[in-house]
Amino acid sequence: MSTFRRLAPWVLLAVALTAAAIGPLLPGLDPYHQDLLARNLPPGPGHWLGTDSFGRDILARLVAGTRLTLLVAVCSAGIALLGGAGLGLMGCVAGGPARGAVYAAFDMIRTLPPILLSLALMVSLGVGTLSVILAVGIAFMPLFGYVARAVYEREMASGYVAAARVLGIAPAAIAWRHVLPNAAGALLTQVAIVVPRAIVTESVLSFFGLGVSPDVPTWGRIIATAVSYAEQAPASLLLPVLALALTTLSLSVLGNRLRDRFDPLGARA
Amino acid sequence: MPLLSSSALQLLRQLLNIVVISFAIFLLVRAVPGDVIDFYAARGDYDTQSLAAMRADLGLDDGLSTQFGLWTRAALRGDLGLSMRFGTPVADMLVHALPASLKLAGASLLAGLALGMGLAVLALAAPRSPAAAAIESLNVWSIAVPTFCTGVLGILAFSIWLGWLPIRGQMLLPVLILGLDIAGQIAKPLHEELRETARAGFIRTAHAKGLSPWRIAWRHILPNSLSVVIALAGVILGGLIGGTLTMEALFGLPGLGSLTLDAIRGRDYPVIQAAVMLLATSVVVVNVATTLLHRWADPRTARRQA
Repeated sequence: MSTFRRLAPWVLLAVALTAAAIGPLLPGLDPYHQDLLARNLPPGPGHWLGTDSFGRDILARLVAGTRLTLLVAVCSAGIALLGGAGLGLMGCVAGGPARGAVYAAFDMIRTLPPILLSLALMVSLGVGTLSVILAVGIAFMPLFGYVARAVYEREMASGYVAAARVLGIAPAAIAWRHVLPNAAGALLTQVAIVVPRAIVTESVLSFFGLGVSPDVPTWGRIIATAVSYAEQAPASLLLPVLALALTTLSLSVLGNRLRDRFDPLGARA
Repeated sequence: MPLLSSSALQLLRQLLNIVVISFAIFLLVRAVPGDVIDFYAARGDYDTQSLAAMRADLGLDDGLSTQFGLWTRAALRGDLGLSMRFGTPVADMLVHALPASLKLAGASLLAGLALGMGLAVLALAAPRSPAAAAIESLNVWSIAVPTFCTGVLGILAFSIWLGWLPIRGQMLLPVLILGLDIAGQIAKPLHEELRETARAGFIRTAHAKGLSPWRIAWRHILPNSLSVVIALAGVILGGLIGGTLTMEALFGLPGLGSLTLDAIRGRDYPVIQAAVMLLATSVVVVNVATTLLHRWADPRTARRQA
């Protein structure tokens, strides 16, 4: 692999993370400030990347969008991780019908495409940032549940767990102290794979107007607003689309590399 | 015999899946704060009494289990109820919207399969061609870049800057975008499977008989590797459902996706519910069909599972 191909995703990710981290500290970048006399401006002095249909600075909205989009995606992946791995491991430890119920639920969730399921969930949760985080989190829970189960079964079959059981250590304690640390690598790899997919799902929902509320500028929301003014202000549409595409692209590439290196369970689709 | 019984078991499980999903969707849709009457109340001038009368009229004040029981019994007879906004039968609305979506999805599927298989065979028959690199990039692209981003870029490039296509109402870009997406998903696994099959003894025999590499690739290797594509049918359908939804919204096309999104915005429960259930059921049906078809196309799978 050439140096460029190895480093490009890291550089793009670093740019996105930097923007997300220091964005709000930069002076003069207010994503909500409307200047109705300066609508749909092309890039130029004053507004480096131009303005959108409400006369808001595109650079400011892009930077704010980076922060919000990444935050929502990471929180969703966190919910999916906690819910999926937590419920999965608890089910495995309890065994019997509890385990059956947990994994039947996961099977059912997995049956539906994430976008359809989160759409249905958004209908009942209502539009809003917390709802999106929850809906997307639930849609990706099974992925972590299956990893947790696979690691649990692998570790339970190993010699040291047998030894621990002979010593009379409770199953829950074995799961917490031995299985979980061994599952950490596989679960974190799964997080790296789920975060870009969560970004995509949130963007699509927000693009439909069923994600974050209209005044919260995640990339999907910015794109949804800009689509109606594609002819007057193409820059306000092109830039968030590129930001979204490049970020999910780099994250996916990095996630795949991580999986190829660390995932003991082998590559999965 | 074991094949039949395990298939029957799976069928039963999936049937149960559909029932549970239906009930879950039924509950989800009704957990919404606010109903269609609120929607009317916000737009028109009604007093509390007439709002309550309208609720009673639509059966919205009955218990949830009563509502689900009534709905299921009617649905089994093909009656999906009336749209709360338009008063038209939901079944008719679905039947009316379905052909447009099927056309878009079908054309995209054909384009995707043709492109994906073509690329995979090309990469096998001509390993030094750029086809292998194209497969790799297309795969990463289709996983990482959502179709609505590609759609927006397509609109910017072809409708606004080049002015070749209208923004709304055309199907060329949507089919192209969804087709590329599908091709990206199938080309890579298919290429890997083709290379695996190419190592088999009967392929060496075909070479020894003097057949041309192209003929071997198309007639001998490809048919014996197609089970990979069948196995991906569920994933492809999932992508197509999300994809047609997005493309219909973005390009202003009529269809099931537009109908669903419109119904969600208008809180039209019967329509949301029927549309989501129809999509969910189609996924389950395709999953079952995939399993059965996969076993038929590749008997090794059944033996592996037994």
